[in-house]
Amino acid sequence: MSILEGLRFSRGDSPLHNMDPRVKFFMTLVIFAAAVMFMDLIPLLVILLAQIPLVFVGMIQREWAKSLRGGVFLAAIIFSTNLVSFYFFQGRSLTSANVEMALSLTVRFLALITSFSLFFLTTSPDKLSLALEKARIPFEFNFAFITAIRFVPVLADEAQSIMDAQRSRGLELDKGGLLSRIRKYIPILLPLIINSIKRSLELAEAMESRAFGATRERTNLYELRMGRGDTAVLAITLAALALTVYIRFFLPPLGPLLPPYKIL
Amino acid sequence: MGIVEIRGLTYSYPNAKAPALDGVDLTIERGEFVLLTGPSGCGKTTFCRCLNGLIPHFYGGDLNGDIRVAGLDTRESPTYRLAQHAGLVFQNPDNQIFALTVEKDVAFGLENLGVEKAKMLEGVDWALEKAGISHLRDRATHELSGGQKQRLAIASILAMRPEVLVLDEPTSFLDPLGAERIFQVLESLNKEHGITILLIEHRLDLAAQHVDRVVIFSEGKIVGNGSPEEIFALEETRLAGVGIPKIVQLYKRLRSEGFPLERPPLTPEALVEELGKWLPPEGQQATAKPTSPEIEGFDWERHASPAVEVQGVSFSYPSGVKALDGVSLTIHRGEFVAIMGENGAGKTTLVKHFNGLLRPSAGWIKVDGGDISGLSVANLSRRVGLVFQNPDDQLFSESVEEEIGFALRNFGFEREVVDKRVDWALNLLDVERYRKSSPFALSGGERKRVALASVLAWDPDIIVLDEPTIGQDYAQKERLRHFLMQLRTQGKTTVIVTHDVEFVADCEPRVVLMADGRIVADGPIRRIVTDEGSMRRASVSPPEITKVFSRLSGRGLPPDVLEVDEAAEMLSGLRGRGR
Repeated sequence: MSILEGLRFSRGDSPLHNMDPRVKFFMTLVIFAAAVMFMDLIPLLVILLAQIPLVFVGMIQREWAKSLRGGVFLAAIIFSTNLVSFYFFQGRSLTSANVEMALSLTVRFLALITSFSLFFLTTSPDKLSLALEKARIPFEFNFAFITAIRFVPVLADEAQSIMDAQRSRGLELDKGGLLSRIRKYIPILLPLIINSIKRSLELAEAMESRAFGATRERTNLYELRMGRGDTAVLAITLAALALTVYIRFFLPPLGPLLPPYKIL
Repeated sequence: MGIVEIRGLTYSYPNAKAPALDGVDLTIERGEFVLLTGPSGCGKTTFCRCLNGLIPHFYGGDLNGDIRVAGLDTRESPTYRLAQHAGLVFQNPDNQIFALTVEKDVAFGLENLGVEKAKMLEGVDWALEKAGISHLRDRATHELSGGQKQRLAIASILAMRPEVLVLDEPTSFLDPLGAERIFQVLESLNKEHGITILLIEHRLDLAAQHVDRVVIFSEGKIVGNGSPEEIFALEETRLAGVGIPKIVQLYKRLRSEGFPLERPPLTPEALVEELGKWLPPEGQQATAKPTSPEIEGFDWERHASPAVEVQGVSFSYPSGVKALDGVSLTIHRGEFVAIMGENGAGKTTLVKHFNGLLRPSAGWIKVDGGDISGLSVANLSRRVGLVFQNPDDQLFSESVEEEIGFALRNFGFEREVVDKRVDWALNLLDVERYRKSSPFALSGGERKRVALASVLAWDPDIIVLDEPTIGQDYAQKERLRHFLMQLRTQGKTTVIVTHDVEFVADCEPRVVLMADGRIVADGPIRRIVTDEGSMRRASVSPPEITKVFSRLSGRGLPPDVLEVDEAAEMLSGLRGRGR
C-alpha cells in the first residue's frame, strides 16, 4: 500500500502548502488533462519533468519518492502488458514504435502519480474540505470524507490490537495455503467490523450532541482567500493549458522518436 | 425550578423486554455538581441520553414521564437545540473528535450552529482556556494523549456554552493523573463559572471529594440521593454494589469500634484531622517501623527458578518513539507482580515482549531459562498467556464455547482435550450458562470473563493481564480479585499491568514502577508505596489508607499500611494505649 502512503498529507510550510486549494486543484487537473491529451513520449516526459521543480518547492521529495517506489510495480505491469499485447495483436511481432508507446504510457502513469502526490501531500484535509464546501458539495459528503481520514490512524491502531490479541491466542497468519490464510483473517476482520459498527453509533451520538445538521447555513472557522500568489499561479496555469491545447491540436504531431525497426 | 426537572421517567429501548429506566424522579439545581453512580447496566448511560434528547429522538423506544432541561421539554425540542443547554461528553475520547486539528474540532459545534466567525473564535478561545488546553491549539488531534483528548472533548462541548455539562464515565480510559486533571477542570467550571455538572463515575474515591451530591442508580431506579457523606453512611449504597472508598470503610469500622468520629471523610486529610483529635499527641512514641518484615523476607531468588528474565531490553516503535530504555527484570515462578505507571510509561510494550509480539532492538529475554529470540509467538503463547484490555478486540465466534476453543484448536489439541478444557474454563470463570450464547450478547463484564477464559483454557504457566480493571465496576473488580488470589494460591506466575492503585493494594503483589520506558522501583508493595520519590516519578499516587498512615507516622504508626482491617486494628490499639 506504499503507493497510498505517498498520498498522506504531512504538515509543512511551503508556497505549495499555503496555496489556495482550489487553485492547486485546478493546477492538478490541468496537469492531468495534459497527460491524458498526449500519447507521444516527448510531451509526456516534459509533463513529468516539469513537475519535479514543484516537488522541491513543496519539500515533499521524500514522500514523492516513496509513492514512486510504490508505483514502480504498477508501472512495470503497464509497460509489460502493453508490450505483450502489441506482440500478440500484431501477429507475434514487435516494433520500436511499440516499445516507445509502452514507454509513453508508463511515463504518463508516473506523471499522473506525481500530480496527485503534489496535491494530496501538500493539502491538509481541513483545507480540502473547505474547498469542497465552497464548491457547493453537500456538507454530509464532505464530512464523511474528513471523518474517513480522521479515523485512518485510529483503525490502524485497532487492527494492530486485534492482531496482537489473536496472535497471542495462537493464530498464525503466515502459515498454510492461500485459502486457509484468507480464512485466518476472519478472526481479525470480524472484531474490526463489529467495533467499527459500534464506533459509528457512538460517533452519531457525538455528532448529534454537537448540533450536527442544526442549520443549512453552516459557518466555517477557516476561510479561503485568494492571495496575489494564487492569482499568479492561476494565470500561469491557464496559459499552460492554452499552450498544451495549441501544441496538441494546432501543431503537427511529432511522430515517433525511434527510427522504425522490427525487434521481433 | 431546577435546571433539570425529571418526573416519573420510564423508558424502554426498542424491542427491550424490561425498562432501562423505571420511575426516575430527580431535580438538579442550577450550579450543582452531582455525581451519578451505580453498577454496570443500572441505567446511568440511558439517563444521560435522555438529557439532550438522544432518547427519544435518536434511539426511539418508549418514553414516559416528564423531562425538562433548562425549561425545554426534551420530547418537543430537537437534539441540536437541547445540545446548546445540556452538553454530553462520552467515555471514549476517540469517538467524539471529528476534526484533524484541535481548534477546528472545538469549533465544530459552533460551525454546525452557523455562528459567525468572530463569535466563533471567541468561543473557541474561551473553551480551550477553560479546559486547560490552549497550548495544544494547533496540534493534530491524533497526536494527543488520552487525557488531552478527553479535555479536548470537554472543550468542544463547552464551546457551545451549555448550562449543564453531562459526562459519561469520562475518565475510564485515563490513568489517575489524567483523571485528576479532568476533575480539576470540572471543579473550576462548576465553582468559577456556575456550570451545572452531572458526572457519571465508578471511581468514587477520586470523584467524591469534588461533588455536592451523589445519586445512586440500581436497576433503572434511584436508590440513593444525598450528600456524599450521607450516601456513604447508607446501607443501600453498599447493597447496590457501589464501591465505598477505603477511607470511608475505615471510618465505619472505627465508628463501630467506638471512635467518636463525626462524619464520613471524603479525603485522607479529613480523616487524619478527625483522628488527630482522638489519638495520643505526636512524638509520644519512637519512630515508626514497617509492619511486616516477613513479607519482605521471602527470598524468591533462592526458592524459585526464574519464569521470565528481561535483560537490558530497549524498544522503539517505527514512529521513532522510544518505549523501552534498558529494562531489566526477573519474574520468578509463582510470583505475583503488578507493573504500574502512567499511560505511555511502557508497561504494555514490556509485556508484549514476553510472548514475542514485539522483539527488542537491544537486550534479550528468556522464558523458563531459554532465550526466546528464535521462537514464534504461537510457540511462546503456549507458556505465556496474554489477556488484553479490550475483549472486543478478540471476540469473534458464534458462541462462547467456540470462542474458548479457538486457541486450543490453533495449538492443535485433540478434540476430546479441547472439549474438556473448554468445560473447565467455562466453569472456572463462571460462564458455563452462556456456553451456547453469542459472546456479543453478553454484558461488558461477562465479555471480559470470556476473553479471560479463552486464554486460561490452555493453562499457560505464566499469565499476563493488561489493564484488567478498566471500565469494570466494583463488583466486577472484586470478582477479578478473588480470581487472581485463586491463581496465586495455585502457584501460577501472574503479571498484571495496571494503574488502579486501590486494586493493587488489595492484592499485595510485588510492584514494578515504570516511567518513561524505564523501571524506577521494584519491590514488595509495602516498600514501594512508602517510596514517595519513585511513586511521584511514576505518577502513581499511594492508596488512600497509606496516605492516611503516612500522615500519622509521627504518632508511632507504621507508614506502610494498606488494608482497612489492619488499619482499624492498629488505630484502636493505639487509642486504647493512649487513654
